Amino acid sequence: MEALFLQFFHNTGFYLCDYRNIIMILVGIIFVYLGIAKDYEPLLLVPIGFGMLIGNIPIFTGLGLGIYEPNSVLHYLYFGVTQGIYPPLIFLGIGAMTDFSTLLSRPVLMLLGAAAQAGVFITFLGALALGFAPHEAASIGIIGGADGPTAIFLTAKLAPQLIGPIAVAAYSYMALVPVIQPPIMRLLTTRKERLIRMEEPREVSKREKIIFPIVAFLLCCFLAPAALPLLGMLCFGNLLKEAVVTERLAVTARTTIIDTATILLGVTVGASTQGDVFLTSSSVGIFVLGAGSFCVATATGVLFAKFMNLFLKSKINPLLGAAGVSAVPDSARVVQVVGQQEDPTNFLLMHAMAPNVSGVIGSAIAAGVLWSLMASKVM
Amino acid sequence: MYGLEAINANNGWATSVVGITIVFSGLVVLSLVISQLYKALDLYENPQKIRDWFSRAKRSDKFLETEVPLFVLTEEQKEIIKQFALLVRTLEDHFSLPRLFELAQISGVKNFHSNLNILLKSAIIFPDKEGFFCWDQDMYIKTISNRNSLKKMEDNRK
Repeated sequence: MEALFLQFFHNTGFYLCDYRNIIMILVGIIFVYLGIAKDYEPLLLVPIGFGMLIGNIPIFTGLGLGIYEPNSVLHYLYFGVTQGIYPPLIFLGIGAMTDFSTLLSRPVLMLLGAAAQAGVFITFLGALALGFAPHEAASIGIIGGADGPTAIFLTAKLAPQLIGPIAVAAYSYMALVPVIQPPIMRLLTTRKERLIRMEEPREVSKREKIIFPIVAFLLCCFLAPAALPLLGMLCFGNLLKEAVVTERLAVTARTTIIDTATILLGVTVGASTQGDVFLTSSSVGIFVLGAGSFCVATATGVLFAKFMNLFLKSKINPLLGAAGVSAVPDSARVVQVVGQQEDPTNFLLMHAMAPNVSGVIGSAIAAGVLWSLMASKVM
Repeated sequence: MYGLEAINANNGWATSVVGITIVFSGLVVLSLVISQLYKALDLYENPQKIRDWFSRAKRSDKFLETEVPLFVLTEEQKEIIKQFALLVRTLEDHFSLPRLFELAQISGVKNFHSNLNILLKSAIIFPDKEGFFCWDQDMYIKTISNRNSLKKMEDNRK
């Protein structure tokens, strides 16, 4: 009986516990706290945080419980991450939620979304310089796109062993957009620039809104076919929304489908951060590069807006450049908040949504480009 | 391998430049296309504009070919037309003809019936097809400066 009791004790988490599990459980609790108490991206941080708790319960291998054990339930759920299934489903929902009106009314703002993608490629260089392999560097660079699903999608294709740290870094920094971006925005702009008011956007017809996702999809995917899963679903979701006759499908995409995919993605990504796999020196490098990537993306967006102002008759508020990182809609909200700190009657949110959604398209194209350039190095 | 050596060895510079160029050109092309989209849709929804555009081009060719004046405005008529120009400035861009008529009457413009008719025939005043009329400043200047005949302008408007 004593032997049985001992055998049971040896199988408990208390016996198998490792300091790395404790650290990750604490990180998970912090994520849940930030999500619930501080309202930082709760829809992402709460599932990821709880997933960290799930993934760091010490278990002995062979019971078929761990996420990395074949045939375990978590392993099957994780399949959607490793095979890049959940990110396109999330993009479908994002498409069904997004209104491209402001972008259509002032297409020049799309360039800010493109400029912010410079962060992706500068971080790619930084990761190479730190000794990461090219395909890993590409996966790390995409954190600068500030788009969790895109980062997970590309990492699943190029460096699946890094999904945990990259996903956690991407979502953590997305949640910290209100903390990371404002100092950079203030540093790179003058008060006069922050006070610039934007022109009232023109009214966009329904027909334009319907045609846009088709045109955008065809153009972007002909240019970067590897972006097909993400952009295809984004544009399809938007078409469902704008077509009106498919409203029922659009509602399902922007509620049930995106919520289900977000829950499964969040929990499994969180569970993939098992202490022994996650707490490595490369994870630290990824976090440092991820933070740098966000800062560079914000800075390039703001600086490019200032550069555009040299040529534009109707000046744009350079704060909008910060919304070029595709953390929708947080970075647009940050632009609104920073703008209103200077002038409470200046409403920039609507205008900031244009570079924000073009950042989504830009980061998907960047992911497609990196995938196609690196695919040969993975195979 | 670390640092610049690693970047060079992995063709990092070229990859980055190619990558950002593709992303940028993709979004630039897309923004160009969508900036023209509403104009294309406007033409699709109002095919009359295309016909007008072509017929206007034809008319302007004719306009250049024929230079023979058939109507000549007297100095008095020109003065009256100038008075109408001043009255129109007090109105909206799209104004009602009875209102202009009424203003001309109040202001004591001489022979306002017949002179208003000249303005209409010369297309200085033209209908906006929504029940109101507009003033064509270019046509007015041409008429007053007597560089072109009224008849020719009438043909041109038709």
